[in-house]
Amino acid sequence: MSNRLPTQPGEVIDRSKSLSFTWNGRAVTGFEGDTIASALAANGVDVFGRSMKYHRKRGIMTADHWDPNLFLQVGDEPNVRAGSRKLQAGMVVSTQNVWPSLKFDLAAANQLLGRFLSSGFYYKTFMRPRFLWPLYQKVLRKFAPGGEIHWKTSKHGAYDKRYAHPDVLVAGGGPAGMGAALAAADSGARVMLVEHYTELGGHLRWGDDAQRARAAELGSACEAHPNVEVLVDSTVTGRYDHNWIAVNQRSHPIAPERLVKARAGVMVVAPGLIERPYVFAGNDTPGVLLAGAARRLINLYAVRPGEKAVVMTANEEGDAAVADLDRAGVEVVAVLDARKGEGIVSVEGKGRVTKVTTTDGRTLSADTVVTATGWTAPTSLLNMAGDRPIYDPSAARYFSSGDLPPNLLVAGGVDGDGSTDDLEAHGRATGALAANRALRRRHDRVSQTARANPPTWEKPTEMADDRTPLARSAHPECYRSSTHGMVDFSEDVSSKDLVQASKEGFDSIELMKRYTTVTMGPAQGKLETVNAAAVLADANQVAMADIGTTVWRPPYSPISLGALAGRIHEPVRRSALQDWHEAHGASPLLAGQWIRPDHYGDAMAEATNVRSNVGLIDVTPLGKLDLRGPDVPKLLELVYVNKWQKLEVGRVRYGTMVAEDGVVSDDGVTGRLGENHWLMTTTSSGAGAVWEMLEDWLQTYKPEWDVHVTAVTGGLTSINVAGPNSRTLLDRLVEDVDLSAEAFPYFSVRTGAVAGVQNCIIWRIGFTGELSYEIHVPSGHALHVWEALLETGADLGCAPFGVEAQRILRLEKGHYIVGQDTDGLSKAPTAGLGGLVKLDKTDTLGLPELKHAYERDDLPILVGIQTVDGTIVPEEAAQIVDGDSNRIMGRITSSRMSPTLGRSICLGQVDPSLSAAGTEITVLMADGKRIKATVQEHHAHVDHEGARQRV
Amino acid sequence: MIVVPCPNCGPRNSGDLRPAGEVVSRPDPATCSLSEWREYLYMRHNPADWVTETWYCRGGCRRYFTIERNTATNEIRGQEAS
Amino acid sequence: MSEITMQSPVDVGSISASDGSVTLSDAYATTKVQVRAATGTAAAATLDVPYGSSTRNVDGDLVCGTRPDEWTIYGNPGRSAAIVASVPTEGFVTVIDITHGRAMLRVTGSNATAALSKICNLDLSDELTPNGAVFSGSLGSVSCDWVRADEGGETSFLISCERSFGKFLFIAVADACTEFGLSVPRGWELHPH
Repeated sequence: MSNRLPTQPGEVIDRSKSLSFTWNGRAVTGFEGDTIASALAANGVDVFGRSMKYHRKRGIMTADHWDPNLFLQVGDEPNVRAGSRKLQAGMVVSTQNVWPSLKFDLAAANQLLGRFLSSGFYYKTFMRPRFLWPLYQKVLRKFAPGGEIHWKTSKHGAYDKRYAHPDVLVAGGGPAGMGAALAAADSGARVMLVEHYTELGGHLRWGDDAQRARAAELGSACEAHPNVEVLVDSTVTGRYDHNWIAVNQRSHPIAPERLVKARAGVMVVAPGLIERPYVFAGNDTPGVLLAGAARRLINLYAVRPGEKAVVMTANEEGDAAVADLDRAGVEVVAVLDARKGEGIVSVEGKGRVTKVTTTDGRTLSADTVVTATGWTAPTSLLNMAGDRPIYDPSAARYFSSGDLPPNLLVAGGVDGDGSTDDLEAHGRATGALAANRALRRRHDRVSQTARANPPTWEKPTEMADDRTPLARSAHPECYRSSTHGMVDFSEDVSSKDLVQASKEGFDSIELMKRYTTVTMGPAQGKLETVNAAAVLADANQVAMADIGTTVWRPPYSPISLGALAGRIHEPVRRSALQDWHEAHGASPLLAGQWIRPDHYGDAMAEATNVRSNVGLIDVTPLGKLDLRGPDVPKLLELVYVNKWQKLEVGRVRYGTMVAEDGVVSDDGVTGRLGENHWLMTTTSSGAGAVWEMLEDWLQTYKPEWDVHVTAVTGGLTSINVAGPNSRTLLDRLVEDVDLSAEAFPYFSVRTGAVAGVQNCIIWRIGFTGELSYEIHVPSGHALHVWEALLETGADLGCAPFGVEAQRILRLEKGHYIVGQDTDGLSKAPTAGLGGLVKLDKTDTLGLPELKHAYERDDLPILVGIQTVDGTIVPEEAAQIVDGDSNRIMGRITSSRMSPTLGRSICLGQVDPSLSAAGTEITVLMADGKRIKATVQEHHAHVDHEGARQRV
Repeated sequence: MIVVPCPNCGPRNSGDLRPAGEVVSRPDPATCSLSEWREYLYMRHNPADWVTETWYCRGGCRRYFTIERNTATNEIRGQEAS
Repeated sequence: MSEITMQSPVDVGSISASDGSVTLSDAYATTKVQVRAATGTAAAATLDVPYGSSTRNVDGDLVCGTRPDEWTIYGNPGRSAAIVASVPTEGFVTVIDITHGRAMLRVTGSNATAALSKICNLDLSDELTPNGAVFSGSLGSVSCDWVRADEGGETSFLISCERSFGKFLFIAVADACTEFGLSVPRGWELHPH
């Protein structure tokens, strides 16, 4: 059956373009310009789905974005709003929330069980007995609303984001919004005009000839204005402090949704009004629709909403609907004028309205009921700025309290009522005021922004807000008839539920909302809030104004998670050698932001090669800070626990940092390259924080110190050359530096050329415990040096090793890693820094805590640990417990199989009572087994005297 | 995402900066008592009112500076009302 | 060593949108010298560019006021020694060649601003960011130093970041440019399929 009308004067469909799509598997057609819902309605579809809780049949109610009954599955996209989503050829459209089918819905049995599903549904149902919960869970999932997510196969596409900086952002593209945008743009402001629907015009679009003509004129003017950017099919979803505004732009050519993050000077809020339903028994029966819905179906989409209609009208919209229905050939059986006290009592019908009972006792036969009983002012964006709207009984709706920040202005229907001209004029006055404020702000911004040239235009003088407010038309308070009906259609909450909630004590609007879930569905209260407040006021026997309202929070309308995610920017850092590592079989390891070679195939062999020949490891992620100035030693003494004043040029020293609370925060080697030139290294993950910390002390605490800090981490590619053959290898490539043990002793630094590359910094240290040199090479030449080392050292057994081999080697050597072997509570004594910490300084970070820590005897101690059975490698973080009990006495912090010793080795933090060498301890393994281990005398398991590295 | 007026760069999104918290004075570590030190480490006024706080312009000029901000309204003194 | 080539973290040269509205080029080889100098030093007086702006000096190098007491001088490849030597070092002055340590891209074209505005929160419009503007800001979550340095009347940005972020920065910028017709080379996609 076709409900399509002959050509209507304002229709937005293109009858020359027929679009084929499917509805629950059936082939149907619509026209370009149709919404999915209008196309289906034109095809005679009455029932679009089932309600959430009672699984009642539902049809078109508002025929727009807010329609709670029109959530459909389209292909792999769930919850598509068929009332506003434009039809496209080939769409595969189906109902959701039905099981097993739309016609026979098992869950509709819930209607019979209704009394069990009332207020507090979530809290009362399925609670007992507890053991049945897994079963309930399965059943609930079947009943749950919402479509299906095909997360493995979805081709829904990539989402996107952008930033914007409009002077004036106008939310709403009706007559007031367009007027505001044009006036602001004419004043020189850059304007972003955001319209929720796919065309500008607001309610003028389904209005009379004059209204449509004005909408078209204003729309064209906005599109043509060079200062206006128009975003249609877009929603301002949130307003945050300092006018940080989120706009969800749908159906953008490159993304299904795109989040625009705008910092606006002034936002003009002009969302218009949203028509609200009337509460009566049977008000969710298919065929009951709002006046605006009837008008949109007829005027925009040329769809006849029914055959025989009863209209209840309290305002001009309802009166206009009567005229539209009449023109569309719908028989208007009765017009009930709410202004004269007439109205609907209840409606009956299964799958479609059949009978209507009126307040004057008539029972009318009709298939369609149209109500026009008032408006919700969608003040969401004002609420987000702290506004708490106030109820006006004479106009039967809420208005802004007026308590708004100056960067937020209201225009149009939210402010009051008027003709098209009145609304546009109010918009224009608001737009001019917005531009004045925004341009004053822009002038300040340009003046204050370092990178901008001083403004060449004059700052406008402040304009007073002398706008004439729009009038408030009188409107009867129509909320509920003498019967009970649905208040929240998407959550299936009836007025009866609300009354019951009030009786149960949930008599504050905010409590009632959470208890009954009223206003918490996808319409986010746009349809339900006012009726809910009215029902509660009635139940509590108080005035509406005293009930208050729930607070609207972001988002204005739901937004998909994809849009919030946008394109994923998770920067990955790569050393200049990473391409080489990848080309040579390196297994990647993500360490913080860095991608590093974990190993090249066999970490144990790599480690052994370092002990017997020579290995190369890329340690570029090591944080590196170039420090210059006469006061560097003072800075080092402040931030390290040890002393630095006497370090000579050409020497390096190991230092540990603690924070002001005495907890070990970072460590590394720092070398003195020249009298006033130092190079500090930090842990890879700590580099940024150490840099900021140094700047903090230099800028806010010791501004008189002359020190320049420059981050050079990526500029210097760091290569550690480790192993007994390392000196022989470097001798072949290093120019101008005497590498002999006497000339270049352990813990020294030299600068010279390596493989022809000048300005390399070479220092002799030993993280691996072998004779080793760390070369810092200007990164653009790093690959050359790396390849030269490998080539030249081929006969010496030179091979690369990765992070895993390094971790094995350092553990054999007992070097702890900050953050691995220490944690957020580890103070200096725990790390065994005894000799390093100098408490006789007058100032060093955390000094009072350090002094206190060394007076305590209860801090955990880091010790070397070996299991009795050397084949067992305890898991890192395995607990050390007190014998057979579960009393925790410490934990394993690092563990590996040692290729050098052929047995497992560990570091661990233990209670001081267990820290003496030779103490037998119990390690509780992850599988529950307890194994014996022994505390070692030294952290080092191999060469604790350091003989190998000092050759 | 509030706007923080950096004295060097101009107004910037707070995400470009790192808040370093209420300004507190550091006692002399050589002479202060442990309890004075812990006041400095841990105790903050945290009023729902005006505070003087430090920000680090991490993404811009890399300078530490202080502003007065009302924690209840996010109003920042010297900045045009927001 | 002149015979050893500088290896860029972004070895893709230059790529353009099909309509030429945005071009993305590697500029790693640009000489970059950073100067830190306290107010009152000869270096500060010589450089004489306030924070936020830039100028071309007599040698054709681009002198930028990068931070309140910091300048960066950008010159043609190989000019490091000459630039370093040109800065007077009396007083508390630090001169560092940061050429190797900074990846650098040039983004040029009528859609350059629109593309960069997708992944940078700063207002890059002509009034807030005029030709010659020098600033720092995040681009695709990477901290960058920027100069707006138009070329032949076309909007152009010179953008540098810590070298190790260079490849990611290029990927992020190229991704933002796809909306304007840029084809991303294989292996340089932000979200490879």
